[in-house]
Amino acid sequence: MIPERSNRFIKKLFAPYLAYRLRKAFKVLKHDEVKVLPGHSVLLLCNHFSWWDGFFAGHLTHTYLHRDFHIMMQEDHLKKRMFFNRVGGFSINRKSKEVIESLQYASELLGNPNNLVTVFPQGQLVSNHSDEVNIERGIDYIVKKIKGDCQIIYYSAFIEYFESLKPSVYFRFLDCGTNHDFDFEKVKAMINAHHKRALKEQVDAQH
Amino acid sequence: MVKPGKNLIIRFILHYYVKLIVGNHFHKLQFDPIEVDPNKSILLIANHFSFWDSLILYIVCCKLLKKKFYVMVREDTTVQLKYLKYGGAFSVNKRSKDMLQSLEYAAELLNDPQNLVLIFPQGKLYSNFVNDIHFEKGSMRIIERADKKFQLIFAATFVQYLKHKKPTATVYLQNALGKCKSFEDLKNAYQMHYDNAKLQQTEIVI
Repeated sequence: MIPERSNRFIKKLFAPYLAYRLRKAFKVLKHDEVKVLPGHSVLLLCNHFSWWDGFFAGHLTHTYLHRDFHIMMQEDHLKKRMFFNRVGGFSINRKSKEVIESLQYASELLGNPNNLVTVFPQGQLVSNHSDEVNIERGIDYIVKKIKGDCQIIYYSAFIEYFESLKPSVYFRFLDCGTNHDFDFEKVKAMINAHHKRALKEQVDAQH
Repeated sequence: MVKPGKNLIIRFILHYYVKLIVGNHFHKLQFDPIEVDPNKSILLIANHFSFWDSLILYIVCCKLLKKKFYVMVREDTTVQLKYLKYGGAFSVNKRSKDMLQSLEYAAELLNDPQNLVLIFPQGKLYSNFVNDIHFEKGSMRIIERADKKFQLIFAATFVQYLKHKKPTATVYLQNALGKCKSFEDLKNAYQMHYDNAKLQQTEIVI
């Protein structure tokens, strides 16, 4: 497992560059409101459907959630782009025994209330049209091992074009409670219901 | 009603410009190979979720269908973007009596086997995530007026990013066989094609 080696200076420089890249590639990034609990670290879960997802999560963290960004990445992907190791990326390899180590590492990071860890609970790229979000059991393991207060937040992201030549991204947040009242099956059902509702709202949205 | 303008220079510029921006914006443009009858014009029915739809289908027309491209566009858009008419756009206005004239014009175009007419039966932009395609009645009128001298093709377009930085556009094409005798038939046949295409898009897991 490769632990994160983030450098505050590189992170500070990367944030405005990321904002610039996203502004260049997308028309608007629109999100709704979620109440972030003070004194809690954040476990950010999101649907994984594109190359950009990690950047979206990073951008939302810098501009809205205001925590120190970390992200769980597939080991082979991280090895190809070790730069992300410097801005908060740490690895997981689902096929090796080290998987427990990575999950434990995520829990440790979440022990610090200044941190945010992004995890793609689906574990693979899934179509943006899919109305189901498969949550892997690893999430349960991470949350149960956290020592301290942690808030779990999920968002569904959808990409659409409408009148513009540039796409827009719409994020819909869901507050899944804290690690103290966490129940895996309940949260899984909550996230799936939220995702279905978000997809329906997306279809009916004004543009 | 705004009719397509003839200006070879602007058409030439538009052709290469559309090719350039579609090539630049998308990682890949995929479409199903289908058989085209050279002795018949084509009526292409497609879903409408972005400004890119007609540009993507223009490229499909150039690469696969190989006909002269015409597209029915809302009147306010043709007024806003005046150059569109040189690329084969003609206008329709749902709220005026001109509408019948536009539908007649589309049917007329279909009399020439060299032509392709693209229409968006939804009538306005909808999300790319819709399940049910809203269908305006005008599309059936074109079919009735053109009197079976054309080949009816259904297109369903989806745009997804997945593992690439740029999006991939996938166009699912299908020849509609001569079963669309009524408006309901047409609507259901298109809906079936769309559902099928959407299912294929939804099942993608990498």
